[in-house]
Amino acid sequence: MRHAIKLMVLGLLALVMLPVGSAQAADDRPLVRVGTEGTYPPFTFHESGDNELTGYDIDVITAVAKKAGWRLQFVETQFDAIFAALESDRIDVIANQVSINPEREAKYGLSEPYTYSRGVIVVKTGTQGITTLADLKGRTTAQSITSNWAGVAKDAGAKVEGVEGFAQAAALVVQGRVDAIVNDNIAVLDYLNTTGSDEIEIVGDAGDEVSRQVLAFRQGDPRLAEADRALEELRADGTLAKISDTYFKADVSVENGGDVDVSGGRQTRSDAEVVRDAAWPMLKGLIKVSIPITIISFVIGLAIAVVVALARISGSRVLSGLARGYVSIIRGTPLLVQLFIVFFGLPEIGIDFPSYVAGVVALSLNVGGYAAEVVRSAILSVPKGQFEAAATIGMGYWQTLRRIVFPQAARTAVPPLSNTAISLFKDTSLLSVVLLTDVLREAQNAAAAAQVFLPLYAFAALYYWIVCVVMSFVQGRLETRLNRFVAS
Amino acid sequence: MTDPLVRARGIHKSFGDNHVLRGIDFTADAGTTTAVLGPSGSGKTTILRSLNVLETPDAGTVGIGDVEIDFSTLPAGKAGRAASSRLRAQSGMVFQSHQLFPHKTVLENVVEGPVQVQKRPVDEAVADARALLDQVGLADKADQHPFQLSGGQQQRVGIARALALKPQVVLFDEPTSALDPELVGEVLSVIKDLTTQGWTTVIVTHEIRFAEQVADQVLFLDGGVVVESGPPAQVIADPREERTRQFLQRILNPT
Repeated sequence: MRHAIKLMVLGLLALVMLPVGSAQAADDRPLVRVGTEGTYPPFTFHESGDNELTGYDIDVITAVAKKAGWRLQFVETQFDAIFAALESDRIDVIANQVSINPEREAKYGLSEPYTYSRGVIVVKTGTQGITTLADLKGRTTAQSITSNWAGVAKDAGAKVEGVEGFAQAAALVVQGRVDAIVNDNIAVLDYLNTTGSDEIEIVGDAGDEVSRQVLAFRQGDPRLAEADRALEELRADGTLAKISDTYFKADVSVENGGDVDVSGGRQTRSDAEVVRDAAWPMLKGLIKVSIPITIISFVIGLAIAVVVALARISGSRVLSGLARGYVSIIRGTPLLVQLFIVFFGLPEIGIDFPSYVAGVVALSLNVGGYAAEVVRSAILSVPKGQFEAAATIGMGYWQTLRRIVFPQAARTAVPPLSNTAISLFKDTSLLSVVLLTDVLREAQNAAAAAQVFLPLYAFAALYYWIVCVVMSFVQGRLETRLNRFVAS
Repeated sequence: MTDPLVRARGIHKSFGDNHVLRGIDFTADAGTTTAVLGPSGSGKTTILRSLNVLETPDAGTVGIGDVEIDFSTLPAGKAGRAASSRLRAQSGMVFQSHQLFPHKTVLENVVEGPVQVQKRPVDEAVADARALLDQVGLADKADQHPFQLSGGQQQRVGIARALALKPQVVLFDEPTSALDPELVGEVLSVIKDLTTQGWTTVIVTHEIRFAEQVADQVLFLDGGVVVESGPPAQVIADPREERTRQFLQRILNPT
């Protein structure tokens, strides 16, 4: 058992280290990790077909990196986790249309602006009574909570509902669940153009201030100066204007650079094509993230559960109390909070896991807490006489557990542990918050690029369901196998 | 004159307020059969379980062969557990409700101790196990699982499992009490064979007639003390103590 765990941990480390190691060998430029949503077209999104990360912000940071001599690694995450990721040193810079505001100026190292835009107010087509910021007082708007636009809406007296990306916000407005959206005019125009939607419309400007978007570093990062120098050069040699032109037919990198036109942008696809294009990336997310993390976390979690269960049964009041506390904390707190603590919280006290490891750590601890009670009652279900019989043939504690008790306890434990495993697998859908690209995250990427929701999320559901059906089947086989030595 | 093989001196054991053993003394020579009789609650099972430390006596000394523990000075923790398991390794035990391992075959049950604990070569252990199963009349059941056997057959496997460790002493804890009456005979006849083959045995039983036939010495326990001990011709056939007489009377003539 101990060997198995050791191997598992080593294998896991190898998995996490390998890609980094091989990349480093080929390239000695300094690595800069770029945080971006990947779901905010036309700034940062996945191109249909080849599924490459692309967009205005991606092109700009790539050009900056070329000038500054950086090697880039893109880390995709939802906007509301992006500043936490910067602060906890998961990423080095945010390239995601970060607007300048006083709070951010105080807290982060902000570059020179590379986008000028204005905020607009968007409503469901035909809505009366909302045209200016003042009309938002007492209304509900849909925003990324940590975005500048959320601040604008709040200052105007609106109640803000949190969403992940503009596409979700648009869906909420169309469905009538919120009254309006405050967002960047370019993003809105792109949405209207991509979807061909006439269900939402721009009704007016959100104030008359021009919003300036920048790259955000941690405060004091010397790379900020390098970025500023690079942006200056790119502006001078016309590269910024050229990048802007490909996406907007206008120069958004200067103030009043002309009217934005995104109509020549991305082609629209049928729902079937969208799903077909997304199917393979989603399957990759399933095979590379969701399934392996489920397996690794379940094995480690089960080992934790066994130790905790034995501590609970042990005569020691200290051990038993510790075990009880652990189970209580795990069961009494949401998994999402546990993930946030492990990934964004622990780095503040110097414990910094890579994404994959953080996901495994959080899920293993979670499974350990839930499975501990199952394992405990399964062990207690083995008659005391079996322990005594093992003792009388000379077996020690671990030998007794391994050869006599666990095989019998397994019979009792398999049905509830299968439920735990199935829950665990479904819980991997939360892993995108620790910057892992799982099935659901891939579906969200595709949904944001194509503005298509139902078919993609239904397809993601189908993937989950198929895996769960397989797991249930395995459970059935296991139960039959374990029941074969018991008189019915 | 060598020391007796089994030595119990001044054994005391309480469960909470219940003082079950109040100073038990007895010895058994190698190759002899000791039958322990007594009413329920007399402590007869507890004294048996004290011999292999399934119960840890509060005070007293238990010795089997050259392993001896004085329980009043037994250290707590690891050293104490090591001493207990050395003593436990001197004996084999047959339980009232067999306690075979349900997930293992009959043969696997018997070789488990020799192979896993005593680290004997598998071939040798299997050969010995088959010989033992043959001895208890179950050679053809080696590959079955316990649930496929009758109660009497299960108990005979339990005996083979205890013998496979080649212990100095075999302890029987009411080996026929959980059996249907028609199955009692087959188990008793296996035990009886053992007593004639030089095994040292201590048997807690309610089968008075059986004890009378096979035992070299009989201990009659009541209230946590040995009330009377001696050869069966004396303790069973001609008890000196009133309590012994009353007990035998109740068992032999229940009406």
